Amino acid sequence: MTLGEFEDMMDSCVRCSKCKFIPQLVIQSKRFSSICPSIDYFNFHAYSGGGRMIAASAYHKGRVDLTPEMLDVIYSCTNCGGCEISCKWVYELEPNEAIHELRVAAVESGAGPMPKHKKYIELVERNKNPYGEEPEKRPQWLTDDIATNESSSTLYFVGCTASYRREEIAVATAKILNAAGEDFRLMGSDEMCCGSPVYRVGDQKTAIKIMKENIEQFKEAGIKKIITSCSGCYNMLKVEYPRFVEHDIEVLHTSQIIEGFLEDGKIKLTEEVSLKLTYHDPCHLGRMAEPYEPWEGEKIEVLSQVYIYDPPKPERRGSNGVYDAPRNVLKQIPGVELVEMERIREYSYCCGAGGGCKSAFPAFALWASNERLEEAESTGASTLVSACPFCGTNFRDGIKSRGSPMEYFDLTELVLRSMGGGK
Amino acid sequence: MLEKNVYDAFTDVVGKRYISQDPAVMDTYAFQWCNEIESAQRGEEPQRFGTRPLAVLLPESTEQVQAIVRLCNEHDVGFKALTTGMGPWAGVSNPRAIQIDLRRMNRIIEIDSKNMYVVIEPYVTNAQLQCELFEYGLMHHAQGAGPQTSPLASHTSFVGPGFTSPYTGFSGRNVLGVEWVLPDGDILRLGSFDHNGKWFTGDGPGLSLRGIMRGWLGAYGGLGVFTKAAIRLFSWPAPKDWKWKTSGTIPEYDWDVPPYWQMYVLNFEEWEEYQKAMYELSDREVTMVATTSAPEGLAALFTNTKTEAIESIFAGLLAKTRNYIVMLVAAHTQREFDFRTKLVRLIMEKYGGNDLIADGVTSPKPMHYGETVRNMLGAHAFRFSNCFQSTHGGMDTISMAVRLAQLNQPVKQKYIDKGVIGDDRGLGVWITSYESGHMAHMETPTVYDPTDVESCLGYAAYQDECNQMDLDEALGMPFFIVGDEVHNFYADRTMNYPDWLRKIKASFDPNGVSDPSHYVKGDKKKK
Repeated sequence: MTLGEFEDMMDSCVRCSKCKFIPQLVIQSKRFSSICPSIDYFNFHAYSGGGRMIAASAYHKGRVDLTPEMLDVIYSCTNCGGCEISCKWVYELEPNEAIHELRVAAVESGAGPMPKHKKYIELVERNKNPYGEEPEKRPQWLTDDIATNESSSTLYFVGCTASYRREEIAVATAKILNAAGEDFRLMGSDEMCCGSPVYRVGDQKTAIKIMKENIEQFKEAGIKKIITSCSGCYNMLKVEYPRFVEHDIEVLHTSQIIEGFLEDGKIKLTEEVSLKLTYHDPCHLGRMAEPYEPWEGEKIEVLSQVYIYDPPKPERRGSNGVYDAPRNVLKQIPGVELVEMERIREYSYCCGAGGGCKSAFPAFALWASNERLEEAESTGASTLVSACPFCGTNFRDGIKSRGSPMEYFDLTELVLRSMGGGK
Repeated sequence: MLEKNVYDAFTDVVGKRYISQDPAVMDTYAFQWCNEIESAQRGEEPQRFGTRPLAVLLPESTEQVQAIVRLCNEHDVGFKALTTGMGPWAGVSNPRAIQIDLRRMNRIIEIDSKNMYVVIEPYVTNAQLQCELFEYGLMHHAQGAGPQTSPLASHTSFVGPGFTSPYTGFSGRNVLGVEWVLPDGDILRLGSFDHNGKWFTGDGPGLSLRGIMRGWLGAYGGLGVFTKAAIRLFSWPAPKDWKWKTSGTIPEYDWDVPPYWQMYVLNFEEWEEYQKAMYELSDREVTMVATTSAPEGLAALFTNTKTEAIESIFAGLLAKTRNYIVMLVAAHTQREFDFRTKLVRLIMEKYGGNDLIADGVTSPKPMHYGETVRNMLGAHAFRFSNCFQSTHGGMDTISMAVRLAQLNQPVKQKYIDKGVIGDDRGLGVWITSYESGHMAHMETPTVYDPTDVESCLGYAAYQDECNQMDLDEALGMPFFIVGDEVHNFYADRTMNYPDWLRKIKASFDPNGVSDPSHYVKGDKKKK
């Protein structure tokens, strides 16, 4: 869709501010009632989901230009989709989608994305990762005791962050796959960024090119199934790729495949891991992970001024994200006591890193992680667990900055430890 | 643009991070629900973008608000404060005005459980406040605008009926004291707070100016800025160890219904029986909720999506539904519950009613009990077309509400027949009794399409005709669409009350900087 195709939607916002909060029915306390890190940090209405839709409408109607402050408004959104979940309680609006189209329009105009984004897009195109690391170093995390099978049709798509920054996740994942007897291959130094950091900031042209090249590479390698460590990679391959490039590759997140291993008895969690922990739902594994089902049809007026879609248009309301798999895994680790935060599942509070914010607005990203850590601490848990290397990086930075007594682990690290392999 | 020296002076007050004059940021304050109707009523192209403020400021304290207001007086700049800001009354009308966004002032200052009041800042929302009051076994009155809106804004500045009105009254009745930055920058604290530091009454022994401050209608933010308010609390009818608990996944959440709660939808074939039953149910103080809408509205109340609502309509809900009252009996004890439910049954039988829940016509789920007391049901009406607005708006007797509903039907039907507003067969109303007495609030919510010019123009014409009907039939003033023109429209039949409003406005706002928006300007009505 283009920004213009969102015009009716943008004009239909009633500026009610529901997009600033978790769905009103599930609010349990004042402290943890908000959903949007951006409005919480920047405060002007423009920094909310509804506010950005209005700004997008103003831009589309030619009322405003892409000033530096407008670019801040556009790009200080973590693209977490929380606003959309709350909005859809009542309205048929998609603020998160409209924000994305505004970013695309900003890039097409030449004003966007932000300089930091342009820099890492260059690095992705040159080095295949946004960190600017050498492609040859991508498989350096691989230890001698990990077995891969380069003729396997199952690909462990490690992702840039687990490859270069959170290698312990890559190691744990590979060892769990080995223990379960799950044959897999790697792309090694040929693995290209999934395109998420490029796509999220609106450089759709480059992102689609990456998607096409990746799918081509997967097809050439005979890949039938992809396992990802990263929620962002999962979201791209599972949800966004099919919107632009056809593929029939099965995409699984590590939490899902581990849940399956446990169900099938392929791995056993025997070692006690005595931790009181709480789980953070990554946005791109949770509410944003619902598949985008293509729809074609028409609006029919069934009552005066009341329209429905024929055939019914699939709704993405966040109810079908990957919420239970990581929890089911954690609950099976001996000694683990799982306590929940107030904001969970489809109304989880974003860690603050996504949408290009970690690079372009690092102070904001760090502040958001602190907000989430305060909520995690309030549960009485000693440990925060999630299932995304990028969330994990931001949380580790947050723990350091606030001197939090909490520890952070990726789900795979605890699973490996309980298997007796990662003390 | 503001002059540089003025902008710099504002910046000195709030700091660089909390002031903006970027056009896109400003447009997110200029854009308001219902601007499209008001622009249509003025004969302009319907559109949601209204007047753009020259700057937006985010103060964090009363002192900063005061400093901003003083600068406005000094530099002849209008100002308008807002909280969550939903509706054209939240925006500015003066092209040389700034917007004061009170979002950073969001503290609950004090919960006095013994004297049953709470002191809050502007950006505490209804849902937030409700959550924090449960542990004290207390609740407040939340206005129908919804759980995400500000109780301070409603209590100080807006009429404020809500879904629990039979039990909690309306906002104007429940404000006990305020901290008020007057249009000239002085700070005034009303009521007992001024005397002894406690906020339990707005009527002294300190100054009592509640009538001037808001009266029935409220000044819609056109008379200074309210930075704190003490509001009355009520007993929450659930055990103290009961927790607000939801489970499941959107849109089908589950909610733990407290013991001794029961919902009814009492249905009466004719308005006459409905009216008698409503009087008796209210007088007997049986129910926490007593609310009426169109049969189409009932379809939306207890469903979770537009599709479900439409399906229930086509499944025959309309044929089985006439004039109904959604009721929530919420008792503290079994004995109280037995007493109240018995009364409900007796009153229903006395007036020949039936319970649509018992008959299986509608089936509220536990989450709908939660939505009811969290004041979320009004928003369900937005599901049909993403938009509705209300005409009329008297808070008068129950019989007046019924009369208004009956008179409105053929007028509304005319616009339905034109295809410009939603088809509820002209029956679309919202009636709620309040204060367990003989009073009721009545308005007529009407669905329209904000993206369709003909629909906006059609709704605007319907609104104008309703205003005329209010005047011709002595139905009272509308409570939504106000401002100088509408006030003037009713002046001759209402002892020229706008002249008095203008005197108040001129006295409190000698420099005319507190943007009147939907209040009155300080000048005299032209005769």
